[in-house]
Amino acid sequence: MADQLVVEHLTKIYERGDILALDDISFSVVKGEFLVVIGLSGSGKSTLLRCINRLIEPTQGKVYFDGVDVTAASGGELRRLRRKMGMIYQQFNLVKRSSVLTNVLAGRLGYVNPWMSAVHRFPREDIEMGLKNLERVGISDQAYTRADNLSGGQQQRVGIARALMQEPELLMADEPVSALDPATSHSVMKYLEQMNQEDGVTVITSLHFLSLARRYGTRILALKDGKIVFEGLPSEIDEARFKEIYGEEAEHVEVR
Amino acid sequence: MKDRYYAGFMTQRPAFFTEFSKGLSRIRRRFLVVLTDLFALMYLWTLASYCVNDFFYHVRNFTSLPWWVMLIVAVEVAAFWEAFGVSIGMRLLGLRLRPIEEHRLGQHVVRYILWHISPLFLFRLLWKSDAVPWHESVSGLKTVRASEIAMTPRPWYTRSWSVAAVLIMLLSLGAAMLITKVDFYALSTGAPKMMPLWRGLVSPNWALLGEGVRLLIVTVFMALMATIFAVIIAVPLSFFAARNLMHGVVGQAVYIIVRTIADIMRSLNVIIWAIVFIVWVRAGAFSGMLALFVQATANLIKLYSERLESIDPGPPEAIRATGGNRLQVVIFGVIPQIVNPYLSFTLYQWDINVRMSTIIGLVGGGGIGQLLFQYMRIWDYRSAGMMLLLITIIVWAIDYMSSRLRARLN
Amino acid sequence: MSKSVEEMQALRFRVFAFFLDWASWGYIAYGIMYLLNSYWYTNIHYYGRLSVPTWGWPIVILGTLELAAISHAFGHSIGLSMFGLRLVTDSFTPPSLGKRWQRYLAWHVAVLSFPVAIWFSTQKSRLLHDRLTGTRMVLVKQYKDEIPILPPRAWYKTNRGEMSVVLIGVTLWVGALVTQIDLHTMISRVSTSSYLWKELLSPHFTHFITPDPALQQSIVSGMIETIFMALLATAVGAAFALPLSFLGARNIMGFSPLGWVVFTVVRGVFNVVRSIQPLLWGTVFAVWVGFGMFAGVMALGFHTVAALGKLYSEQVEGIDPGPLEAIAATGARRWQVVLYGVVPQVIPSFLAFTLYRWDINVRMATVIALVGGGGLGRIMFYYQSRVGLLPDAWNQVGAVIMTIIVVVWVLDYISGRVREKII
Repeated sequence: MADQLVVEHLTKIYERGDILALDDISFSVVKGEFLVVIGLSGSGKSTLLRCINRLIEPTQGKVYFDGVDVTAASGGELRRLRRKMGMIYQQFNLVKRSSVLTNVLAGRLGYVNPWMSAVHRFPREDIEMGLKNLERVGISDQAYTRADNLSGGQQQRVGIARALMQEPELLMADEPVSALDPATSHSVMKYLEQMNQEDGVTVITSLHFLSLARRYGTRILALKDGKIVFEGLPSEIDEARFKEIYGEEAEHVEVR
Repeated sequence: MKDRYYAGFMTQRPAFFTEFSKGLSRIRRRFLVVLTDLFALMYLWTLASYCVNDFFYHVRNFTSLPWWVMLIVAVEVAAFWEAFGVSIGMRLLGLRLRPIEEHRLGQHVVRYILWHISPLFLFRLLWKSDAVPWHESVSGLKTVRASEIAMTPRPWYTRSWSVAAVLIMLLSLGAAMLITKVDFYALSTGAPKMMPLWRGLVSPNWALLGEGVRLLIVTVFMALMATIFAVIIAVPLSFFAARNLMHGVVGQAVYIIVRTIADIMRSLNVIIWAIVFIVWVRAGAFSGMLALFVQATANLIKLYSERLESIDPGPPEAIRATGGNRLQVVIFGVIPQIVNPYLSFTLYQWDINVRMSTIIGLVGGGGIGQLLFQYMRIWDYRSAGMMLLLITIIVWAIDYMSSRLRARLN
Repeated sequence: MSKSVEEMQALRFRVFAFFLDWASWGYIAYGIMYLLNSYWYTNIHYYGRLSVPTWGWPIVILGTLELAAISHAFGHSIGLSMFGLRLVTDSFTPPSLGKRWQRYLAWHVAVLSFPVAIWFSTQKSRLLHDRLTGTRMVLVKQYKDEIPILPPRAWYKTNRGEMSVVLIGVTLWVGALVTQIDLHTMISRVSTSSYLWKELLSPHFTHFITPDPALQQSIVSGMIETIFMALLATAVGAAFALPLSFLGARNIMGFSPLGWVVFTVVRGVFNVVRSIQPLLWGTVFAVWVGFGMFAGVMALGFHTVAALGKLYSEQVEGIDPGPLEAIAATGARRWQVVLYGVVPQVIPSFLAFTLYRWDINVRMATVIALVGGGGLGRIMFYYQSRVGLLPDAWNQVGAVIMTIIVVVWVLDYISGRVREKII
């Protein structure tokens, strides 16, 4: 199968403070994979994901999505590429004062007629699609409440529904569960797994805990100080590898 | 019964009392809805007739009909509005018509008619809080709290309350334009008159620089002295104006008195205070300083006491737990929390005082404003321009300084 | 940060600290000279004369320079503590008194050769007098580990404490003279001016509803005018401030050169316009559109644009950037990001600020009549100008003042409640 996403020699240097966040990263992702990126805080996981859809401009290197060079895309082309890549976030990144449905419909902004969106009008079928997606993540009854009235797990599910609205081919999740408690974490991860298996959406997610990565990932990429230190199957991570990724003092923490 | 009493004091309210107060709040809410609707409708009516009168007949008259006609019409329209949909009062006070499967026109009409007599029996709600007003039980259209139901939002322009709100806003602006005699013609034709003024501002009279700077120093010192004296008065008073520190009947009374006096002092502009003080101590920088001082004191009391009301109750509690007395609680638990905000507010107030002190000269309060207005009055725009330039520089500089220092303090 | 950048920062701070100390001593000297002037040489002019005899200038400049050098060498001056500098020996201990004397003397040599030394020196942060005496002036934050922590001295034993006391003392004394504080007049005139309070506190509401024939206006109609003036000014100001505030927000304009220019210009204009009081703008607009309420509205509105614009911009800068990122990632356009990500976040605080501004504008509208006519202010100043002609002029002024208090209080209360609700 052809590679859906190819990352070549990706490097990111933050000018403020001369920090090398990503150091010559190369990997590729096959369609339908569930790739988990692990590593300590500050190892460059978030930067990597944001460089793929260019929320952060990479300093050097190329990103190809379906054979199209994302790093060279400009304006409209970049927007069309972005709408194929859904993203969900650690802090959910919902507009807290807007209703749940408005938040979900924001996922369609890349598709709809811009003039209609200027007066907050969305096509009928988009609204129906939004309600359907909310139903899918189990919060259809909350469609008209304000987003900040929801619990953390519910907010993250709104985030998933928003990403679903994009009808994505690739879903990126930036530590989707690190702001949630263990039980809610699993329910959110299950939705990602469901999308991966039922809809065939490629998923790239960064995670803090190795146990979650082992449970859900089909492949694992480990970052340390902006470099790839491990790439392979979840089962290949043994004690020595673990120490290498997380440092000598690390202990296993299980999330059940 | 036993656990309702603790050491001889009743800790729970008796059942009839809670029932009574619940009923009272329901009645009050319903009356407030009607009052709000009446107010909105009469306001709308008045403004509309003012605009029509002024625009078509060039008469400045708020209403052309007797007031009782207006009242009756407003009452009827309010009843109609409340019976058929969500009125502006219902919206503001969080009440909705309970949505039912199928609306029949008859229900609304019954509700509208019975609305007129139902208030006579409303007092029933006082002792039976689950009772439903007559016009609602008969018509089957009940009002509920907005939080109890979830409704699909409709676009705002299909909602009567939001249309009314927009109408009120538009009419207010229209009336405001008529009342204040907005004159776009003067705006366009008057522009050439500005030329000498711009010329004066661009080429200020540099010969007045020395005199201007001298007055500027007076201005800044007026603001400074007013702030210092205000701090001396406001710091102790702010403790009396903080609700969380004032307990008991005496405390509450002191709180109310201090707050009210501060509010009255604050609500009058510095210029008005200057007029008063000029009679007292004669025109000059002293009267201007006193006027600034009064305003600054009132402002600082408000700012300080609001900060006191939002302190973290943890540290005072900890001091109390170690056996500290009231004074120690304040010194070790409260004051460390408020020093920086107080300094920051003081700087901010100094900033405001400098701005205000530039205009206080208009009525004889001294400072650079006095000279500026003199020159404006005799159309000496070059000299006025010099003063304006100096004012802008000093106000901007002190604003910048105080905001930088405040950023550091926070 | 590299070593050279750190050294340059330390050097820059040293220069700033020195000038701050020099300025403080200059201020004290100037203040003392003002006091000497006012008590011995001349009478205080009406506005307060601030002059120095001609022979004074060189002495003042040289003297303050020496004083600044002394306070730098012998203690912890205001400048040093403001910029976090400390004088230490090479082994980071406090220098002895002898060392300090040497340093003070060597400073005179160094200051003359400063330009040459700074040009040729390889160790730019160690000036000549540093090297001569084996001491150094360091930024405490850069040498946190080396500098021993000493118990703090009582404030009155430190150089900066004593100097602050002198500064405050001189300021208060000079301030009292400049602002002509005169408690004697104040007390002696209590009896002659007490009629004012009596009359203000017994207001005559004769023209509350029935218009005064001379003015052709009643207090109620003045009240309506004032409120609507403020309303119109606020609405117009907010309408202009709204789009401008996005141009004046750092995070919206980004870091491109064009964005930076627009940001700087918009913010600069806001600051200048804001720093001139509405009353002053009133005089300007009275020239433009003629004396009247319209000029007052224009003045208030113009000032409101700047004041609200600044507050709005700061709100826009303070928003949560997360949702913006999320909406940009869905492939939305830049303005869609603003509309769907920024606007919902700022609307409540925008509304709150606008209401608050309306409040302020009502207060301001009561006096804008001085230059713009109309409203309660016009009535008040009319009666005030008739003091002595009308027997109950102050009572009428009192009635207007009472009305202002009530109107402002009611609006303050309403807007406060509404603001509480929407935030």
